[in-house]
Amino acid sequence: MKFEVHLDSVTGKTRHVVDLEKDGTVSLDGQPVDADVVLAAPNAVSVLINGTAFEIHIAPSLNGTYKLQTGPHEFQADVRDPRAWRGGKQGALEAEGRQQIIAPMPGKVIRLLVNAGDEVEAGQGLVVVEAMKMQNEIRSPKKGRVERLQAKEGQAVNAGDVLAWVE
Amino acid sequence: MFRKILIANRGEIAVRILRACREMGIPSVCVFSEVDRTALHVRLADEAYPIGPAPSRESYLRIDKLIDVARRSGCDAIHPGYGFLAENPALPRACTDAGITFIGPPPETMELMGSKTAGKQLARRADVPTVPGTDEPIENAEDAQSLARTMGYPVVLKAVAGGGGKGIRVVKEDEAFASAWRDASSEALNAFGDARVFLEKYLDSPRHIEIQIFADSHGRVVSLGERECSVQRRHQKVIEEAPSTVVTPELRRKMGEAAVRLARAGGYLNAGTVEFLVDASLNFYFLEVNTRLQVEHPVTEQVTGLDLVKLQIAIAAGHRLPFAWETITPRGHAMEVRLYAEDPDNNFFPCPGKILARRIATGPGIRLDEGVYRGWVVPIEYDPLLSKLIAWGNSREETIARLRRALDEYTITGIRTNVSLFRSILAEPEFLRGEIHTRWLDELLARPRPPAVPPRPGTEAAAAIAAAYWESIQPANPSRDGQANTEATSRWKQEGRRAQVDRQP
Repeated sequence: MKFEVHLDSVTGKTRHVVDLEKDGTVSLDGQPVDADVVLAAPNAVSVLINGTAFEIHIAPSLNGTYKLQTGPHEFQADVRDPRAWRGGKQGALEAEGRQQIIAPMPGKVIRLLVNAGDEVEAGQGLVVVEAMKMQNEIRSPKKGRVERLQAKEGQAVNAGDVLAWVE
Repeated sequence: MFRKILIANRGEIAVRILRACREMGIPSVCVFSEVDRTALHVRLADEAYPIGPAPSRESYLRIDKLIDVARRSGCDAIHPGYGFLAENPALPRACTDAGITFIGPPPETMELMGSKTAGKQLARRADVPTVPGTDEPIENAEDAQSLARTMGYPVVLKAVAGGGGKGIRVVKEDEAFASAWRDASSEALNAFGDARVFLEKYLDSPRHIEIQIFADSHGRVVSLGERECSVQRRHQKVIEEAPSTVVTPELRRKMGEAAVRLARAGGYLNAGTVEFLVDASLNFYFLEVNTRLQVEHPVTEQVTGLDLVKLQIAIAAGHRLPFAWETITPRGHAMEVRLYAEDPDNNFFPCPGKILARRIATGPGIRLDEGVYRGWVVPIEYDPLLSKLIAWGNSREETIARLRRALDEYTITGIRTNVSLFRSILAEPEFLRGEIHTRWLDELLARPRPPAVPPRPGTEAAAAIAAAYWESIQPANPSRDGQANTEATSRWKQEGRRAQVDRQP
């Protein structure tokens, strides 16, 4: 599920694209992020990014936006509805050029879903990495051809290791 | 001891008194207005009775209704808490008529010590220093000016009928006296229909330091030491601490003795607070007496180890004070902040509303006295005090560190609070050095604010991810307060797991 998030804080306004994959992987602005996200308590979302812990407290605000609070910092967030937004703009979000496929978390490659040279669709699974007893499917950010497959079944990987390239 | 106690209050102080009763094994009775049916004090009560509509003059200020509830429920004592009727002599009078014990001083003492001018005269008789000045209004400008010269500038002119800061002029030099006199008199005439003005020595950067006293019905009066409440916003206390950074054991003894003399002179009974202004040379001047339990009483409890509410009840029941004041020495340091539902970024405008979620502060050296809970709607009708967060430790430094840590833990979602005010005060070098006075906070708030501390790297990414995640777990038809139902909480991950399971051979 892709979301366009507009953040407004004392330091200024920013726009981000957050992709929450069905397998639990997260990418931010097209880059995979080692992030674990859970609802820790009512209106409290816990986010672990590379182990750094954030607790974001969320309350609905005016005009359907959200008020976010973490420690002394506050953000106003406008999250665009993914279905309404997917409409005409999806092409603009698809990654362009040669893409590195990176392991978002440390784990073990348990299955290769494609072979080098295969044609793949955007969003198609390439490699399955198991971490914390969870199987995470690493997907292609674009339609194209698997140029090279670096990952091998059974291989241990660290966060940031290159698994494949898609041309 | 009492059979049953009526708690004639609401909010955190009603909860505080209820807890003391419960620890003493005394059943208690709570009262509530129409908007307080689900308030925490009612939820915790043994018995609770409605006393009328939301406006306090139709409920919490109705002596007839309180006495009626006390009679019907079989109470033989009433605790007034603070605020509402706590300093109104009509309540102890009505109690006496109904044969009920009022947990506080007798009405005559309240009248004698509660009024500013009567209290000042009593202080003079008891040889307690007061701010130099006239008790009586001054007839003409010439007499006033010569008195000001004798007293030495700066002086302050105050309307006899004063209140709300009207008819007050600070005069810093002789040349400015005549025009200040005219301004104060005409403003007093316009505001109160009474042009009379009196004169006082103006203390430049005074500290507010108060002495907690207790008097039993057997003639013993003790001091439990001081609390410093110099951090005030527009004359309202914001942070209180004990001990004060400037009070030496010698000054503590002198102030304690003065407070005890005053209490004896006024025939005081039960808990009270004698407020003083302390100047830069550590001279102290009597300000006024609060003839009740104070909001900031937990600060004294934490450094003395005493339970002031239980002491109040025991003394009202005729028990003797179990200690002499010489034995009371503060141990460690304690500090309290008053968390309000108000917006510090919008001129401290009250922000009542529904508490959607809460993460409370606990751990070593932390106490939270409060009357709120998750899901409760803070009513607009009353003082928006949510919680008193109290920290204590071996030193002032450790106490401040604990308070900062607890303020980071304490989160209320759904309504605005003044927690950011405390974060900035507790980071101010002057506050950390104890260089504070009664106008310090107002001056601090008038200065341009220091730039905000930048967030940790990753905070913005975490905020964006959390916002997207929150959106993803919202049900198609969200409830009005935006609460996600638990069924939906991990929809995107559950779907992912299911998809993987399906793929398994």
